[in-house]
Amino acid sequence: MPTKSLSDPFNADTDLRHGRSCQHGHDGPGHCGCFDTHHHPHDREPQGPIAQTQVGMPRTAEPAMDADAAMDRAVESAIVRAMFGHNEIDRRRFLKLLGGGTIAAALASVLPLDKVKAAAKDSLGPLEKTKLRIGFVPITCATPIIMAHPMGFYERYGLDVDVIKTAGWAVARDMSLSGQYDAAHMLSPMPLAISMGAGSTAAPFIMPAVENINGQAITLHNKHKDKRNPKDWKGFRFAVPFEYSMHNFLLRYYVAEHGLDPDTDIQIRVVPPPEMVANLRAENVDGYLAPDPFNQRAVWEQIGFIHMLTKDIWDGHPCCAFACSRAFADENPNTFGALLRALVEATQYSSDTANRVEIAEAISPRAYLNQPVQVVQQVLTGRYADGLGNIQDVPDRIDFDPFPWHSMAIWILTQMKRWGYIEGDVNYAQIAEQVYLATECGDVMRELGFEAPTRTAKNFNIMGKVFDYTDPDTYAKSFAIGRA
Amino acid sequence: MLSNLNLRAAIISISFLIVVLGLWQMATAPQALVGGTQELTEYELMMGIGAQTSGIPAPSQVISHAISELSQPFYDAGPNDKGIGLQLLYSVGRVLAGFGLAVVIAIPLGFVIGMSPVLNKAFDPYIQVLKPISPLAWMPLALFIIKDSNTSAIFVIFICSIWPMLINTAFGVAAVRNDWLNVARTLELSKLRTAFTVILPAAAPTILTGMRISVGIAWLVIVAAEMLVGGTGIGYYVWNEWNNLDLASVIFAILMIGIVGMLLDGVLVQASRFVRYQD
Amino acid sequence: MTAHYLQIEDLARTFPQPGSKIPTTVFEGVNFSIEKGEFVCIIGHSGCGKSTILNVLAGLDHASAGHVIMDGKVIEGPSLDQGVIFQNHSLLPWLSTLHNVTFAVRARWPSWSRAQIREHSVRYLEMVGLESVLDRKPAQLSGGMRQRVGIARAFAIEPKLLLMDEPFGALDALTRGVIQEELLKIWARTHQTVFMITHDVDEAVLLADRVLLMTNGPNARVAESVLIDIPRPRERATLHEQSAYYPIRNHLVEFLVRRAKTLSIAARDTEIRHSPKIVNPVKTDPWPPRPAALHAR
Repeated sequence: MPTKSLSDPFNADTDLRHGRSCQHGHDGPGHCGCFDTHHHPHDREPQGPIAQTQVGMPRTAEPAMDADAAMDRAVESAIVRAMFGHNEIDRRRFLKLLGGGTIAAALASVLPLDKVKAAAKDSLGPLEKTKLRIGFVPITCATPIIMAHPMGFYERYGLDVDVIKTAGWAVARDMSLSGQYDAAHMLSPMPLAISMGAGSTAAPFIMPAVENINGQAITLHNKHKDKRNPKDWKGFRFAVPFEYSMHNFLLRYYVAEHGLDPDTDIQIRVVPPPEMVANLRAENVDGYLAPDPFNQRAVWEQIGFIHMLTKDIWDGHPCCAFACSRAFADENPNTFGALLRALVEATQYSSDTANRVEIAEAISPRAYLNQPVQVVQQVLTGRYADGLGNIQDVPDRIDFDPFPWHSMAIWILTQMKRWGYIEGDVNYAQIAEQVYLATECGDVMRELGFEAPTRTAKNFNIMGKVFDYTDPDTYAKSFAIGRA
Repeated sequence: MLSNLNLRAAIISISFLIVVLGLWQMATAPQALVGGTQELTEYELMMGIGAQTSGIPAPSQVISHAISELSQPFYDAGPNDKGIGLQLLYSVGRVLAGFGLAVVIAIPLGFVIGMSPVLNKAFDPYIQVLKPISPLAWMPLALFIIKDSNTSAIFVIFICSIWPMLINTAFGVAAVRNDWLNVARTLELSKLRTAFTVILPAAAPTILTGMRISVGIAWLVIVAAEMLVGGTGIGYYVWNEWNNLDLASVIFAILMIGIVGMLLDGVLVQASRFVRYQD
Repeated sequence: MTAHYLQIEDLARTFPQPGSKIPTTVFEGVNFSIEKGEFVCIIGHSGCGKSTILNVLAGLDHASAGHVIMDGKVIEGPSLDQGVIFQNHSLLPWLSTLHNVTFAVRARWPSWSRAQIREHSVRYLEMVGLESVLDRKPAQLSGGMRQRVGIARAFAIEPKLLLMDEPFGALDALTRGVIQEELLKIWARTHQTVFMITHDVDEAVLLADRVLLMTNGPNARVAESVLIDIPRPRERATLHEQSAYYPIRNHLVEFLVRRAKTLSIAARDTEIRHSPKIVNPVKTDPWPPRPAALHAR
């Protein structure tokens, strides 16, 4: 469709405005051919404001424009016009002076027009890499990453993904750092730690989406059925899957709220999740705060019971996430975009409780979680046996919400500061914003038709205490028990 | 007489196996279901009562699992789920690569060290320090430097299995009888010819003993390395089944590991038959 | 002076003694010669250094002083010109009888074809009567047979000088006798120059043209060169019927029993450089010996 405003903005002779002389409509005398579709393509060139010539006198021929080209032109036009403060006379005078090519070059040197055009079009360019390797640890937190494979979410975006079962978090980190994994399932604190160089070489990592929220539990050995009050837990040995994990931080927060110092009153050990059940049976540990399905599995094996769901500590806490290196995202922006979209869709699909049973069946087999399907189903549906004789019904025992709140990152950073994992002054907001891509995720969510929060940070309520993200320093120092 | 000996040994062996399996079966036979003919309540279903528990499995369970695994050993259902045959092949491949590399380096180096007392003393401290380091300690370092997990595993096999071969070769070469060396000298054999026609055959039984020990270590290491890193291989298979607390699978895998280890050793035993001599 | 085939000049062997500045001298100033085709035995007590002399002749050991000249050339190291039969047979145990011999033959004549090598080796093995056990490994042979293989191997390479270090010391008396005769037979055909160490006086008398007598070590000397004036071919069965047999034998025994030691003590004050005194017991020591002669010197 011929549009006046979509004429070449780098051409001194075009007038991008609709003026008084333009009479919009067909076949009127002196009508402006702006919206005239009946003319020969060559005649589409609109006239200057002064020229009264008939429409059939093109100044410069322009090829037919499709939707993409129209979009490109709109972008160029908008930018150039903005440059000149929307003063058309100035623009044309300037262009006559310097020529369109010079202006275009000068513009390109300060503004990546291509990227802007691509962003504006909001459709992806060709994928740089279609074959991807994504690592996952076989726990229910990785559900979106895993089920996107058998349920076709990756394929929908043109990606051929191999989901690789990984032995543990350290290996996932190392394989990601070395580039053997393009992206990986990680614990939410891990991208922060890796970016800051805590516990590994420093490499900028980004976390565009959270995988699951809630979904963990504190499980105790059956012999502690009478010790439900954490004050009785002095001297207990607990297992967590990794140092930089929500499990570690939530456990510490929980026991600290009950007056125990997690570094001196209890022992916290790092144990790979699959070994936790065996360790519990052997009574090497008294309990653990672990990802599912290992809490439910302990109940299934009749050696433990579920003391508390982590959702009752902090409802909506992030757990695991999808992370990759910043380098990967920069070098393969289109692939990254497609991957993010696939995972956001998968996450949203998983969050719908109607799909949970189907998903449980898809991810239980040997190639994925390799757990009995009844155990996985109890975790995903929230209807489960708690090992104390009751059937509980907690539908959001585990939930899937991709939005990576900046304030989540800030909370994690305050806890890392609190327990001495990081020292010195921490620019909480800056690190959170660099690593947790809340804005991008929100945009993708909206683009795919889901609702997304408009802000990127909000306060949380953890065990009755409010976390104010605007003042993390005070929060980190506000605890009776801590190393900060 | 010899056949009588073999026969008696075989009888004792098999009886022993039957007794052990019998005791094992009796100790682990699945108990009668709670409630007998009643339907299980929903709670009980959720608690896994009635389903297979993961205590020590009975031999019958292991055997039935073994049969199902071995009936299609080479299936490939993606990167995380392959048949036991494929996994074993991956592991054996890595072992042969690492072990082969170790052979290529250990035997010539051992030769040189064995023939030169100066070099022997010079290299000895390094050998003694590096020899006792466990593969599990090498693994993180290898992963960090080499990054690729497959190459790291092969490197770890190499660095752990090279020592017995190196030491045995050096020892075998140094212990070649002077008489034989004198024979070579009086026959004006060049150093190279002496090395190949006198020293090598003389030291060969010792070298092969070193190789046998090394291949055993290499096989040990690969299972541990694969459990750490995952991906493919019998070690990964064990770890994967362990995640599911599927002990029948784990026991079956252990048996397969033992059998393959035995076969690898057997190959070298046959090889050593070729080079042995009576003095 | 006619050049001898094998000339030993001023040979000495000393070892540094730990904890002392004075080195131990095994022997010093040894001079003797051997003619081409001669069969010479050397007899002495253990520790007098006769094996050392042999090793020097073989090139397997080096002398502290002096040199050995054979056929105009100085012996500096082991070579195919000096064949050795070791006391311990030194067969390569992973090779068969035949291959042990072909191993040496191939080293001697590397350009020969396989058939030639085999034929040559088999010929020598036949000379020692082992044609029926060509494919057996040494472990499957008796001690005597093994030593015979060693003999065949040494002869097969046709060295200029054949050195034998108590080759029959490990065998029992009966086997020894049989092999001695086989050695004589094979030597009669090839006429190698032979230098042999032995403890057995009878063996020396049977085999040798001359016997060198060494005094006891340290500071041992090659004291006498005794002529064995018994015609060849010699046979074990008839040897003791020879008139020269007992005088020669007694002379040798008497040396070993008494003079080896006394001469050694006396020699400490005399000149180091020496040559063996040439003795022919047939002419000087008649049988039975006069009592007075026993106390001489």
